[in-house]
Formats: sequence, structure tokens, C-alpha cells
Amino acid sequence: MKKPEDQNFYELLEIPFDASPFEINCAYKEMYQLYHDSSLASYSFFSNEGRAKILAKLDDAYSTLIDPKKRYQYDQLLIERGIHEGWTGYNGDNKPLHLISGSERPRTIQNTILKIREELKTMVSSSPMIQEILTHDIIFGSDIKRIRDELGVSIEMIVEMTKIRAIFIRAIEDDQFERIPSRLLLKSFLKAYAQCLGLDPDTVATRYLKRIKD
Amino acid sequence: MTSTHKRCKLKLFSFNGVLSMVHIWPIGGGKGGIGKSFLTGNIGVLLARQNFKTLLIDADLGAPNLHTIVSLHDSNRGLSDFINKKVSTLQETVHKTPIPNLFMISGARNKLDIANLAHEQKMKLLRAISRIDYDYVLIDLSAGTSFNTIDFFSISDTGIFVTSPEPTSIENIYRLIRSVYVRKIRQMLKIYRFRVLVQEAEAQNQDAIINNPEFLLAVLKNMEPEEGMMVEDTLQSFQFKLVLNQVRKQDNPKIGVMICKIIEKHLGLKIQFIGNVSYDDRVHDSVCNKGPFIDNYPYSQATLDLKTIVKGIMDM
Repeated sequence: MKKPEDQNFYELLEIPFDASPFEINCAYKEMYQLYHDSSLASYSFFSNEGRAKILAKLDDAYSTLIDPKKRYQYDQLLIERGIHEGWTGYNGDNKPLHLISGSERPRTIQNTILKIREELKTMVSSSPMIQEILTHDIIFGSDIKRIRDELGVSIEMIVEMTKIRAIFIRAIEDDQFERIPSRLLLKSFLKAYAQCLGLDPDTVATRYLKRIKD
Repeated sequence: MTSTHKRCKLKLFSFNGVLSMVHIWPIGGGKGGIGKSFLTGNIGVLLARQNFKTLLIDADLGAPNLHTIVSLHDSNRGLSDFINKKVSTLQETVHKTPIPNLFMISGARNKLDIANLAHEQKMKLLRAISRIDYDYVLIDLSAGTSFNTIDFFSISDTGIFVTSPEPTSIENIYRLIRSVYVRKIRQMLKIYRFRVLVQEAEAQNQDAIINNPEFLLAVLKNMEPEEGMMVEDTLQSFQFKLVLNQVRKQDNPKIGVMICKIIEKHLGLKIQFIGNVSYDDRVHDSVCNKGPFIDNYPYSQATLDLKTIVKGIMDM
């Protein structure tokens, strides 16, 4: 066991060498809970000087590791001392950290969906057939299917993007309203579907629902 | 492994050459009134209910009252009879309690001057306890850090420290843990070696022994690296547990974990936190009714907490 005085900043905060700023923050808060002046847990354990020393080192550790520039310099110092073999220092990117780990994935999916939607919108405005359909006062399920086919979008893709089950998408396209639990649900499904195809959700929904009385 | 190492290991796990197979748990807390006897009694009852032959020893020589907690009222024999040689074996002082599997050595009839035990008497008692044949032996210690208290920690490599989440009590638990720590180091070294060590440490830092005994180990490691490592290893092999008693709703439930962390970081002593016991006004009623709390209030939070703690004790 190393005495706290001999520990490097990473050991002091009990974090790995590649700890993210978020982890550093948490570790510092946790350690501070142990050592701060009125901490009940360490009451009477340290002399005043001892406590002040530890707190000063803790502050030092935090302010060094949380600052990318200082952290880089400190890592270089540790590498020179041979503390951590093969460690090349924290490749400190300044990106804000996501609170929930793994949030990276949904975010990229969201971005792809947005990108696809933009592309579809331009395709919609440049396709004469779709523009022709959109001039109709009433829109049928078959019309929506034709638009989808024209855009080359599969049902699976719609399902993936809207999280609406395939049977409901098919029910909309086949005009089988009875398979959808309620009118309200049908409306919101329609809107989501239309938005996916780069169409104006409200227009599609009103024109589609015109035919259905309750 | 050096011969010193072997000798020390042997000395720790078996008091004066007698290998003990029982689980001996000294239960100590630096301060009075934090519920050592309450915990000892109720943990004892819970262990007995799980079919472990359990012996409670009231080693709070000067102020015994464990017998009241387990409702043992007529105790005609006690610890003092063994110490004063009225009976020849410790076993003869053991009482049956109303609870099956639970036995106890009471201190109710201790003479008033018994708290000042002579060294020889104490050694005799410690030897006898380490030879006694039970599944669990729980020793209820007196508050404070006198040798009469901390020497009970020398007969086993286990121990339970009790504290409440109050500064006074935490201050005293640290004091007790440090005393036990120094005592354990002393036990591992020969007496003159220990004296040399203390002199050396004091020469380097005047109040090291009182304020940070961890300094002792650092000095020892400097003087005799091999021996220092050995002592450090042995200190880490102890099975100490910490219980926080009288925890109220507004208290920080993490205090226990934090205390253990500080001790591990700064003393190199592993202490396992085995749980909080909720503060309960009815403990007072239970003591007044002279019965075990867990029987009087089997569905209270404190009883549930005690059950968790017993699990922590059995899990070694």
C-alpha cells in the first residue's frame, strides 16, 4: 500500500489513467466527502496540518487532471518517470461528455434519420409523380405506397425510423382502418409515416382521414 | 517465508500455541452507550437461532449488563469465579439461557475491583477463552482503550467495531482501532524489538505513536524491510468488521463505508462495513422489558438490519 503522500494523482483519486473528465469530477467529489473540514467520517482521524495537506493535494490533483493542457503535461511527467509503461497520455478531446454511457449510438442513428429525411424531401419536390399525387384532395393508402415505392424506401426502413409496427404501416397502405386501434392512433401513425417520407405530415393526415367518418 | 513470519502467523491464529477452531468475535466500540451489549446480545440470539452453538462473554468487567439483554436473571456463577479460582475451568461458569443454543458467561456477580485485572489473570482468561469449544464466541467489551479491553482482540484475527454516526463516537472508534493496530504490531514483534521501533519512531516524530501509529509501520519498513512487509501482510489478513449503530433517518448512510475507506487508505487495515442498524426508540422499551429486542419487535427495521449484519459476520 502506498501512502497517500507518495501516490500520483490518479492513484490518489482512485481512477484509471484514461479516466474521462466526468469520472475525475465524480472521484474528486467522493474524495472531498472523506477529507473536507467538517467531514464526519474522518473526524479526529487527521491532525489539522495532515488534513490540510491531503486537501491541498486533492485540489492539486483535480485542477491538474481536469485541465486538458495541464493533464497532458502531467501525463508526460509520469511517462518520463516510467510510472505507466506504454501509456501515451490522455488523448484529451474537449468534447462534452454524455452522462449516460452508450448514448453515442442513438445519437448517430438520430443524425442518420435526419439526413435521410432531408434527402427524401428534395426527392419529393423533384418528382413530378409525387407532386401530382399531392395535388389530390383525398389521399389513399395506395397513393402513399406509390410515393414510398417511388422514393425506394422499404417498409422495414419506415419501421426502423418510426418504431411503428409493420402491420400498422401495411394497414395504412391497404386502407384497412379497422386494424388500427383508434382514430387518434391512426392520425399519429400517419403523421409519423408522412414525416418519414419527407411529406408534410398535417396535409397527408387530413387528406387521408377525410374519407373516414369516425 | 522466513521463520519469523511463520512464528508470527502461528502466534496470531492460535493464542500461545493452542489452535482455536471457533470463531471468536470481540465486539468493541470506543464509547459507552452506543449499543455494544445490545448488538452482542441480539447477534448472539440470531446466531443461536441458526443452530450455531453460541457463547456470549460479558467482558465489560466493570459494568456488565449483557445478562439483562438476553434475560438471564439468576446467575450464581460468573467470570469472577474463574478469575478468583473458585472454579477450575471456564466451562463451569457457562450459563444456559432461555434461548436454545445460546450460552453465556455473565459478569453480573463480578466483584467491584475486577475491572483492574492483573496481567497474569488476564492471560489465563484469554487462554481459556481461546480454548473453549463453541461455534461462535462473542465477547462484549467495555468502552475505552485500556489494555484489558484491547487485549481481547489479541486472541483472534477477527473483531467487530461498533460506532454511532456522531463525532464523539467516531473519534473514539478511531482511537480504539489505532490502539488495536499498535497492539497487533507489538504482538507480532518481540518486546525489545517493539521498544526499539517505538524509540526510533519517536526520535523521528515526537507524537507519532499517539497521532498516527501508521508511522510505526513506515519506520519498521525502513529499518527492516522484510519484517515490515510481513507485518503489513499480517495486518491486511485480519477480518475486522464495522457496524454503525443508532443510525437515524437524517444521518448519511454512507458514513460506515467512508470510515472503512479512510482506515484502509491510511492504516492499511482492511475493515469490512457490514451494515447500519437503524435507531429505534423501542430498544429502550425492550431493555426495560429485559428481553431480546429481535423477539419483542421482530418486524422492525432494526431487526432486519441486525439480520443483515449476522449475514456479514457469517460470511468470512
